[in-house]
Amino acid sequence: MLRKVTSYLIAGSLLLFSALAAAASAPSEIKIGTLYASSGPFAAISMPVHLGLKLWVDQENAKGGVMVKPYGKRIPVKLVAYDDQSNTATAATLYNQLITQDKVNLLVADSGSVLTSMAVPIAREHKMLLLDQTGTGGTFFTPDNKYIALMSDPVSTIWPKYIADFLTKEGPKLGIKRIALIYATNDFTGTQANAVRKFIQDSHAPVKIVYDKGVPTKTSNYTVLLNNIKAAKPDAVIQMGYPGNDIAFLRNLHDSGTHFKWLFAIYPGLETEHMEKTVGIDGLKYVYTYTPSSVVQYHAESGMSLPEFHKAWDKAYPNSKVSFGFNAVAGYTTGLVIQNALAATKSLDQLDLRDAVFGLSGKLKTIDGTFALDKNGAQIGEITPLGQLVPDGKGSLKFTVVYPSDVATGKPVYPAPAK
Amino acid sequence: MLEYSILAGLLFGLYFCLVGLGLNLIFGVMRIVNLAHGDFVMLGALGACGLFGAYAINPIAAAVACLILFIIIGFPLYYLLVPRLLKSADPEMLSIILFFGLSQVIESLTTIVAGPTERSIPGNALGEHPVTILHQTFPSAWVVSAVASGVAVLLVFIYLYHTRIGRLTRAVMVHRDEALATGIDVGRVSGLAFGIGLGLAAVAGCFAPFMLGGITPASGVELTIQSFTVIIVGSLGSPLGTVLGGLIYGVSLMLMQTYFSSWAGLLPYLLLIAILLVRPSGLLGRKVRHA
Amino acid sequence: MPRSFRNTLLVLVPLVIIAALAPSFYANQLLLFNVIVFLALAQGVNIIYGFTGYLPFGYVGFFGAGAYGFALAVMHLHAGPIAAMAVGAATSIVFGLVLTPLLRLSGPYFAIANLAAALAISEIVSNPALESITKGPYGVSLSGIFAPTFSYSVAVAVLAFATGCVLYLRYSRFGLALQAVRDDPISAAMAGINVVWARTVAWLLSALIAGLIGANFAWYVSVFYPDNVFSPDFSIFAIVFALFGGVATVLGPILGVVLLYGLYNVIGISTPQYFQLIYGLLIMVLVLFLPNGLASLLRRWGIHVV
Repeated sequence: MLRKVTSYLIAGSLLLFSALAAAASAPSEIKIGTLYASSGPFAAISMPVHLGLKLWVDQENAKGGVMVKPYGKRIPVKLVAYDDQSNTATAATLYNQLITQDKVNLLVADSGSVLTSMAVPIAREHKMLLLDQTGTGGTFFTPDNKYIALMSDPVSTIWPKYIADFLTKEGPKLGIKRIALIYATNDFTGTQANAVRKFIQDSHAPVKIVYDKGVPTKTSNYTVLLNNIKAAKPDAVIQMGYPGNDIAFLRNLHDSGTHFKWLFAIYPGLETEHMEKTVGIDGLKYVYTYTPSSVVQYHAESGMSLPEFHKAWDKAYPNSKVSFGFNAVAGYTTGLVIQNALAATKSLDQLDLRDAVFGLSGKLKTIDGTFALDKNGAQIGEITPLGQLVPDGKGSLKFTVVYPSDVATGKPVYPAPAK
Repeated sequence: MLEYSILAGLLFGLYFCLVGLGLNLIFGVMRIVNLAHGDFVMLGALGACGLFGAYAINPIAAAVACLILFIIIGFPLYYLLVPRLLKSADPEMLSIILFFGLSQVIESLTTIVAGPTERSIPGNALGEHPVTILHQTFPSAWVVSAVASGVAVLLVFIYLYHTRIGRLTRAVMVHRDEALATGIDVGRVSGLAFGIGLGLAAVAGCFAPFMLGGITPASGVELTIQSFTVIIVGSLGSPLGTVLGGLIYGVSLMLMQTYFSSWAGLLPYLLLIAILLVRPSGLLGRKVRHA
Repeated sequence: MPRSFRNTLLVLVPLVIIAALAPSFYANQLLLFNVIVFLALAQGVNIIYGFTGYLPFGYVGFFGAGAYGFALAVMHLHAGPIAAMAVGAATSIVFGLVLTPLLRLSGPYFAIANLAAALAISEIVSNPALESITKGPYGVSLSGIFAPTFSYSVAVAVLAFATGCVLYLRYSRFGLALQAVRDDPISAAMAGINVVWARTVAWLLSALIAGLIGANFAWYVSVFYPDNVFSPDFSIFAIVFALFGGVATVLGPILGVVLLYGLYNVIGISTPQYFQLIYGLLIMVLVLFLPNGLASLLRRWGIHVV
């Protein structure tokens, strides 16, 4: 009897001690380490993502912190962020600093494939999970690397699928037979161009690619290229480039009097406000693009809805010189993934965090769409449908989602009316 | 396609002549490598974007304002930087680094003040309808820029060859020390040339949003390299050389875009190296020191 | 003992020991690796600018050539890392040989042409037409040879080599000959120095150093895009560090790297927003007020700089 009581006492006190120890060993703050580029060529895509993440951090801290399941309470978030100035050697050093000196709990990459690339082997070597925000390079996600997950943009090798599907399935019905493809030769848009070409060729639809050229990413003048595309008499034109390329392409197109019946470009959808300011509403009419989540009415089960987010953004960053768009949403989505992962994780161990993040696949629905990862960590959800920008009759533009049919809100206007 | 490329190349080349003109003047007069040249073009561009956005000022008016403003800024800037530089052991080389530092300062200040996103001016600010030349259509902005370049070249020519101070400037270009010995106030002449050089860069910048799409504070670097290509291919010290250099650069760039599009970015560097190895004095020839 | 030997011991040995032991004191090994990279590059710039008088504004071309030589050897020849480093170094020397005609140009023309050459090779390597060879713009990923500790030790060896070369030039006839050529090529030729030969050797030596450390960099990071290894920042920083410390000395570039790159990392971690501004102003002040670097300041105070 005494032995029984003693053993119960010991078990009970062990339990008590371990509970106390667990609560006592709860960290005083959750450190999230990340980089951003405040200057240089990648600043334009990095700052919006960073500010979106920061907004999430500030909101969670206003609630007392982020809920961390193993400790059963909210713990304040500390965002440790360094500026890599678009310099890759500096970025590598800083990622290492975050891991080895700051000993962060969560490692979040800078925006874009180039500034994410060197973090991949570093994170793997230190066995830290890398939360890749918008680095969509296909080569990052390999079976031998467990320590990476892509948060927001779909991986470049599948992102353009809906473009190809539309052109090969709906295109012939509309009379589209000749396709022109022009792209900037870098990892992001070059990979997408290769993907769209392959999807079109593999479909065996009665369409032909009559113009297929890569141009340097720093191309700032498309007037001659546009003339060459016109000479190939395409029914549809696909332009893949960074914002600078899209701006130059659309402006030169508008100013030169050339007209295409069907034109796709990436950034009129991803950074609509910015493109309206630089290209002008007239130059964006009837352009096809990736439809951002605001228009597809994804029901955000976690986090704010898009109007709420836009309002919070405007409140947090008044007169911001940083443009609000798809990238801002991407940064906020990273925060939401972290929030949901921490609320479900078994511990703060990196592999447990990985399981928690992968466990959200197919279940987490945010303003960015449905979060879905393949087994290597590449984002295969959140694919943007194909939409068209049409005049709304009040002097500005609105989106019509044209493909796929289950989310379509209207019919495509083809051929696009000449101005 | 070929005629279009060549015509477009000529128009684009004339614009690049304007971009390089200021650099030519500065290098010719002071033998200083102004690595911040592209950043001054960028400042002119952002200034024009800002003026258009805030007060709807026409870019051509903005160009005239920029010219005057930058001449006024350039003069004291010259006195601040250059005399000390010329006293050092290796002014040409050190100027590279000094002006590189200046370019970083300009780029960072602009990023802090204006932010990193691209800016532009809608195309119809310089004319509503495309212009047709020899059955090929071009944006009207291209033609206006080309005309502005022509005007600028003419003005520089008049300045150098038909004004007294221009003659003094040419004397300094030929041999600085001898000019000093004949009593010319080399400092004042150089300062004025420096200011005009910066002013021309800013004027070129006012047309950049039309020729080059979106401008960010980081745009300066690429512009500097292209300007060097243009002036070295042409030849230093002669405005006509810059015109020739610009035209060659423009036409070859457009032809590359048509026939070897992914290699188009290589062109300015190959041209530069080729000219420096084969005919370092440029196509219109003016003596250049050999090592 | 002869002065050169004593100075070698005073400078080279502590440098190597500190570089080798530093990772045990400071965990961010990558930062230390970058310091070594810049130490080597600054000495390379020292050789070609300090001793020979040519400003290599496109020095990163050799660095990138070495990196891509290494990558090509690993990807296509399945070479081991040391053999691949030799290939990288060889690639850089070949690139240097190709550019030897540029040595005919003077001053700023050489600098601009060198810059154009570096940008040209960067464009060529990153062109998608060459994707099957260099992987074009899609980046290189050399999994399987990633070995941070071993590649770090090799980097220390490369640093020793680079510093040793400069020590040699500082105390040898050849080094003096180079400086004579730099100051007055015509008189030097009349004194019997083979000007072209001397310059070419210095040029290829500095190319070799950049190529070796470039290949080492590729090994250490094992994932990179063309932009990463052809970034003009490498050339600019190396030149500024070398100038700041004082060229034509051994200690000058070392001081420059330690002080300025150290400053860069400290500011970079605390007030990055004004970073580019501070650095730009620093460069301008340096050129205007201390064009011969810290070494000249030390010499003015009577300290002999190695």
